[in-house]
Amino acid sequence: MTDVPKAATPAAAASLLQLAGVMLKVGATGFGMGMVGVLQQEAVTRRAWLSQQEFADGLALANLLPGPIAVDAAVYVGYRLRGWLGATVCLLALLVPAFLIMLGLTIAYLRYGQVPQLHGVFRGLNAAVVALVLAVAYRLGKSSLKSTSQAALAVAALGATLLHTNPVTVVLTCGIIGALLLAPHPKVAP
Amino acid sequence: MNLLQLFLVFAKIGAVVFGGGFVMIPFIQREVVQHYGWLTQQQFVDAIALGQITPGPILISATFVGYKVQGLAGAVVATLAVFLPSFLMTALAARQMMRLRRNPRVAGFIRGVLPAVVAMLLVAAITIARSTVWLDWRLLLLVVVALILLVRCKVDAVYVVVGSGIAGFLLER
Repeated sequence: MTDVPKAATPAAAASLLQLAGVMLKVGATGFGMGMVGVLQQEAVTRRAWLSQQEFADGLALANLLPGPIAVDAAVYVGYRLRGWLGATVCLLALLVPAFLIMLGLTIAYLRYGQVPQLHGVFRGLNAAVVALVLAVAYRLGKSSLKSTSQAALAVAALGATLLHTNPVTVVLTCGIIGALLLAPHPKVAP
Repeated sequence: MNLLQLFLVFAKIGAVVFGGGFVMIPFIQREVVQHYGWLTQQQFVDAIALGQITPGPILISATFVGYKVQGLAGAVVATLAVFLPSFLMTALAARQMMRLRRNPRVAGFIRGVLPAVVAMLLVAAITIARSTVWLDWRLLLLVVVALILLVRCKVDAVYVVVGSGIAGFLLER
């Protein structure tokens, strides 16, 4: 895996079976947003299927499109690596563990009328989710916030969202500011 | 209520629900509890709680609703329907992204979006932390340890998740 060219567009080769295996793992161990962290670790850090930048592109898309961010990101990874088939395999493999567990819990709940009392475990798992999401923020921030203006945008976006501005509005506004001011060619006015 | 209607309702939810986890809950509640009356308020709260203790997306609560309305077939249909719109849009957008990435305006757009994405991730972390770990220094410590293990020591996320669950269980007693 070390001889993968760094800037290759369709990154390292991944078979559908490998994709399914990784997505099963992400779906079985990531809770909610925590999946983004597991996905990044598997697809970027471990297997180098995508570069940090390509994965960041996927997260950008995921934030602009409907659906849970982690699910969108997984579909993006699948599509980038193996097209429609890869995207389909990724979605289904990601959902299988959650679907089966949820189905079992639903049947038990409708029969016994109770949610399992797992407060301690749940709080511990949430701590892991917070850490996984922060890890993604850290890696993404390190790899993609390269200028003061981008850092300023991040702070502004953070402030706006904490003040309850609609997240999609925030993301789009930052994108438009970027298109106007951060485009890479010198002919674009600053 | 037949399967086609169930499919359409959940496809609609899937098409308009943005972001991760908690953002989408009020909207689903309006559809499923107020509008269609498929679940009582208490059942809805419990369905979301089950979605949270289940690995995977919290939106998997769709499985619960589908099962309640139409049994196993309903569970399958609701689950697929709720993820279908974003699946199609993401794959199509990924395709365009691969073509448009070289356009300087698009590249600039993404350069602007990425800081916002970092901010969104931080907001998500804060939101989740607020609902659970905020007021307990032991859980905050657990977050710090987990973060160091993930970022510095590159420990597999599986061990971090399982270890945190066990730590939470032990702290509770």
